[in-house]
Amino acid sequence: MKTILLVEDEFGIATALTLILEDEGYRVFSAANGRKALDRMGEIAPDLVVTDFMMPVLDGAALGQALRADPAWKDIPIVMMSAVPEESVAKRFDGYTAFLRKPFTLPGFLGLVTRILGD
Amino acid sequence: MTNAPATAPEHPPALDRVPSGIHGLDLILRGGFLRGGVYIIQGVPGAGKTILANQMCFTHVASGGRAAYVTLLAESHTRMLQHLRPMSLFDESAIPERLYYVSGFKTLEDEGLKGLVDLLRREIRGQKASLMVLDGLVAAEETAGSDREFKKFVHEVQTHAAMHDCTVLLLTSGKPGPVRAEHTMVDGLIDLDDQVFEVRTERALQVRKFRGSGSLRGRHPFRITTDGLVVYPRIEAVFGTPSAQDRPTHDRMASGIDGLDGLIGGGIVRASTMALLGSTGIGKTTFGLHFLARSSEAEPGLMFGFYETPERLRLKAAALGLDFEGLERSGALEIVWQAQGENVLDELAHRLRDAVRRRGVRRLFVDGLGGFVESAVHPERMSRFFSVLSNELRALDVTAIYTMETREIIAPTLQVPINGISSLVENMAVLRFVEARARTRRLLSIIKTRDSDFDPALQEFEITGRGLRIVGPFARYENLLSGQAHAPDAPSPDASAPGAGPSEPPPGRGDA
Repeated sequence: MKTILLVEDEFGIATALTLILEDEGYRVFSAANGRKALDRMGEIAPDLVVTDFMMPVLDGAALGQALRADPAWKDIPIVMMSAVPEESVAKRFDGYTAFLRKPFTLPGFLGLVTRILGD
Repeated sequence: MTNAPATAPEHPPALDRVPSGIHGLDLILRGGFLRGGVYIIQGVPGAGKTILANQMCFTHVASGGRAAYVTLLAESHTRMLQHLRPMSLFDESAIPERLYYVSGFKTLEDEGLKGLVDLLRREIRGQKASLMVLDGLVAAEETAGSDREFKKFVHEVQTHAAMHDCTVLLLTSGKPGPVRAEHTMVDGLIDLDDQVFEVRTERALQVRKFRGSGSLRGRHPFRITTDGLVVYPRIEAVFGTPSAQDRPTHDRMASGIDGLDGLIGGGIVRASTMALLGSTGIGKTTFGLHFLARSSEAEPGLMFGFYETPERLRLKAAALGLDFEGLERSGALEIVWQAQGENVLDELAHRLRDAVRRRGVRRLFVDGLGGFVESAVHPERMSRFFSVLSNELRALDVTAIYTMETREIIAPTLQVPINGISSLVENMAVLRFVEARARTRRLLSIIKTRDSDFDPALQEFEITGRGLRIVGPFARYENLLSGQAHAPDAPSPDASAPGAGPSEPPPGRGDA
């Protein structure tokens, strides 16, 4: 079973995506910001990080930079999600594997996750 | 010899303002919110709190500030941005560099109010925010174990706001009501509501508290448009004292009505108001068209109408030999027409005043006051509203004629829709239909004029292809104002007396 770390500050979105991904057979952990995600990376050892861009404390860009700078996580796939255009996100961090503009459709989201995790 | 002080007396520095960028609201707040203050924006769902706060954020970042928008249990950021995107205030390029959206709800759930305060503090510092919005204060209130704990939370937010010179808006749902604990602590409290008046609704805003500065008291209507909130400060509040000093004069302005000026001392006194009362079809609009036909570069005119469209007015004027299109082309005249619908009273008054100021209008014709009356959700305001509006227009050196439709066409009494109209205007004239010898004729009665005598004789007037003109006094009749003229010395109802003035019009005269 593949493990996904979902990093999302909006409670409703985090809850809904967690349930949907669990229904698809993934093990899902969530964190409300980039700092909490980094704190749990070692414990969770995810196969994929799905992260929002704008978050309190440590945002998705800073999280991505920290992961790419860490030899243990430098190759982990990262899906970046945001309501702002990709070019605004890429100015801060462009090392993500895929970008999803909010709002997105569930088939689009799940298809992307499936392609990345190879299931 | 006395020693002069070495330095001038010190005055406390004026408190810096953070403009909301919302038309009308900054006028109500005397320039905007105070920098570093904490304000509660309260209103029922759908009242406009989120748009107000976002509008202020976009205005703030457009002028060089930075803002953070923190939601608790509010709509998702994605939805919020989708709703804002069609509005002119929305600037996607400001996000995320200058305007940043985050949710604090999970932090509130996991770490309570202490964690939320810490998150707010970090966001103020991390984003270098000079404006912060916390949308969904009610969620924080519900998390608090007691009023005391919630007040402590608000107090901590205030402390951080002041330390970082960051203005904070706390958005919360709820109807205007009794003072709550948190209200006593914040620097200001603004209520937004959306009330039902029979079948229509009207949004209004009220500043219930504003520390450190005056504000315009009472309720002020507002609309939510594609440009965001537009607030219309209540006319009685904003122009209770006119914006300019009144400079009364004895100078006269030509009425444009053939034969009238000689009856009223040479014309209408400048910067005065005239009420023109009469039933439908009597010629009130025609009267006003003649008045406006005298518009010029030196005396710009404005037609502010509710009933006839500009196209119809131009056609009507042309039929009277008045070149309105030419006057409009030269800039001497503007026609501002209000579609009959659900207008907001104060919006109309601001639109009128703005049009007057924009072109330095000197001749104003409002056709008619009924359009204002029908827009009022609080009819009891009307007398005071017109009094203040008229005072403002006088101070702007505007000579105004207002029409007011009376309900009866031919009757012994006149019913007008505004109480005490006579005390609100300096000049008043009544236009009436009179039945005389089985004919309908038109009568002009001057009720009063400012600072001058006037000819009290009841005048007959006519409207022909050459326009409206005073024919002369109704010399042989009595009981004209009853609507049923009577010639006491006439030998028989069908006889006419030669040389008795315009007692018998030629065929067709006086027809509507």
